[in-house]
Amino acid sequence: MSMKTRRGLFIAACLLPGLALFLLFKVYPTIQIFQKSLYLWTGVGDEPKFIGLQNFVDMFHDDVFLLALRNTGFLMLVVPVLTLLIALVNASLLTQSKLKERGFYRTVFFFPSILSFVVIAILWSFIYHPTMGFVNSGLELLGLGDWAMAWLGDQRTVLWALAVTLIWQAAGYYMVMYMAGIDGISPDLYEAAGLDGATRIQQFFHITIPMLWEIIRVTIIFSINGVLTISFVIVSVMTAGGPDRHSEVVMTYLYSQAFTNSNFGYAMAIGVFIFIISLLLALISNKLTERGSH
Amino acid sequence: MKPKKWLTTVAASVVAVSVLAGCGSNNNNGGNAASPSSPSASASESAGGKQFENMELNVAVFQGGYGREYWDTIAEDFMKDYPGTKINITASPKIAELVRPKIVAGNPPDFMYIAGSDNLPIINGLIKDKALLDLTEVFNEPAEEGGAPLKDKILPGVLESRSSSPYGDGQVYLAPYNFGVMGLWYNKTLFDEKGIAVPKTWDDWFALTATAKDNDRALFTYQGLYPGYLEEMIVPSIYSVGGQEALDQFYNLDPEFWKSDTFKQVWGLIERIAKEDNALMKGTIALNHTQSQTAFMQGKAMFIPNGTWFEDEMKDAPREDGFQFGFLGAPAFTADKPAMAMTNVEQLVIPAKAKNPELAKEFLKYLYSDKSVKLNAEKSKGVLAVKGAADMSKEFISESMYNVYKAVDEGIVTVNGAFKSVAKGSKYNPSDEIFKPISSIMNKQLTVDEYGAKMYDIFTDVQKELEQNGAQE
Repeated sequence: MSMKTRRGLFIAACLLPGLALFLLFKVYPTIQIFQKSLYLWTGVGDEPKFIGLQNFVDMFHDDVFLLALRNTGFLMLVVPVLTLLIALVNASLLTQSKLKERGFYRTVFFFPSILSFVVIAILWSFIYHPTMGFVNSGLELLGLGDWAMAWLGDQRTVLWALAVTLIWQAAGYYMVMYMAGIDGISPDLYEAAGLDGATRIQQFFHITIPMLWEIIRVTIIFSINGVLTISFVIVSVMTAGGPDRHSEVVMTYLYSQAFTNSNFGYAMAIGVFIFIISLLLALISNKLTERGSH
Repeated sequence: MKPKKWLTTVAASVVAVSVLAGCGSNNNNGGNAASPSSPSASASESAGGKQFENMELNVAVFQGGYGREYWDTIAEDFMKDYPGTKINITASPKIAELVRPKIVAGNPPDFMYIAGSDNLPIINGLIKDKALLDLTEVFNEPAEEGGAPLKDKILPGVLESRSSSPYGDGQVYLAPYNFGVMGLWYNKTLFDEKGIAVPKTWDDWFALTATAKDNDRALFTYQGLYPGYLEEMIVPSIYSVGGQEALDQFYNLDPEFWKSDTFKQVWGLIERIAKEDNALMKGTIALNHTQSQTAFMQGKAMFIPNGTWFEDEMKDAPREDGFQFGFLGAPAFTADKPAMAMTNVEQLVIPAKAKNPELAKEFLKYLYSDKSVKLNAEKSKGVLAVKGAADMSKEFISESMYNVYKAVDEGIVTVNGAFKSVAKGSKYNPSDEIFKPISSIMNKQLTVDEYGAKMYDIFTDVQKELEQNGAQE
């Protein structure tokens, strides 16, 4: 046996356990999801019954699902855009301005990322508390008591209120990623631009953003997917989908169909739909941002 | 030599992987492998004069507010009284997650106590699948040798209700355990000190908005994020206005209910709460159960719906000076009708695929003995749905709870019920469909008429699905 085949065997042996676990815990369940989405199944003890694509057809006649999809779409649109914008601006301010408290702010902004989502949700449900919450008390203190409202209890404000929480949670994380990226940009570029008379804002648009473009592309996808997963915890704890389902998101609806309505097949169909949507979104955002890398 | 060594390495890692893979499915096989071995060993032993082929019982219980101590103790007592038997108890707050894979694999526990909103859906799934054991004969058999049948011991109406007899055919599939009484609560001290009369009718109740204002509070608050709590007022009110007939219509998912006069009167109450000045506490809709219950106890609202677990649930919560729990139930519509309350009963089940149904039935019977009722009150502070349980449990439960249970024992009108199952695969969940939109009524963004029309459409659809489903089977 030659050195080369032995090497190959050794590598295979090293890869095998990981590969097996990956197949067992990632690939196999995913296939199961696709398969079960074609069945009528309570998810308890009965025999799944094959119904073809009926679950997918039902989905588009289900008003609650469509509402949940709309709400999720809103969050997926608003949250990544604002999160990344805030993260980018903060990162560039903190790296460029040579603030003395730089390290301190870096830690403070990153803090929400190490808190558990449940803690964040509880924290914010008290911030929005209609009578003793920070938001409403603050407004009253400023003499704007008339503006105080039950932010999480009104269908007009609830999604924005949740969006703020999601942005607050994620902005620090992306900021740290961008700061690392900015630290990698050669200071010569800024120096040269400064000598040529470029303002800070011009430098931001013409140096920072182009140089960070690859990182930004990745974070857009991360952020969109983050909204999908994190919104489940945030919504479950803060609003339970209320008022009257105006903050229901697809993940909470999937969960309630699977586990409170014993409608596993349908829930899996929703899962497949979300899977396809996020895949598509990732592809689209990748395509749209491609030009920037040239 | 060397190539061989490599082969062994590969072989070893393959073995390691298959061992790891084995862990994943261990749940399914482990239980199976263990149980067949034990019956042969003890098949011939007698227990309490009775013979059981299989002496091992796997019990899964919900470990919630009532704890697990009762189950551990009663299991030990049972093993003493039935020598040779062995009871394995699995307890968890998330018991449904633990038993679900076993049920799916066709190897369910022999006996289950499932409660808590996270876990109950699994029971609904089992009902939809017709995967529960028929327990009717357990309740028809005498409780003790030669005595009256066990069913005579159970609180009246419980076994007949849909929570025990889910298919409406009189057969019992879910045995009752602890029962709770639900309705409106108030601060007794406030009412006594200020000389406020406890309202008898809804009109009296709404008249208290002014009194509430004098006392710096709103009339009413509820668990805004979970409008399902409002059933504790709505269900007794449906009964009060339209009697059992209307309640059956409601629980049988009959679309015509949503055009009835009963509906308009009962939901009229909700609209009145939304519209009348100082009726609904500001911001209620955005509060979760803990937040709203705390607000109530701090004197921000005069009434709140909740159940007998209230005092225990909120034992660490801040409260206004001298706060005392007072139970009102639900007021009537006219003065000639009695006040009412809603009850709910926790459920014990034996899966149809249980390995040891005979011993499970014996264990179930054992739970209704006086000794067990007392033990349950002592260890879990719960009251079994058995006649006279209130008095047997008196020394162990709080006074407010005892008063509520005593009132039930002495005949305060109680109603209970459960929704008929929707068709398998239906995307509707009756309770969600009915209660969630109430937030919008409370927000004055939906009128009762619009709501009624929406409900009519939904339940017409639900009935259509049921018919189609029936045609398929």
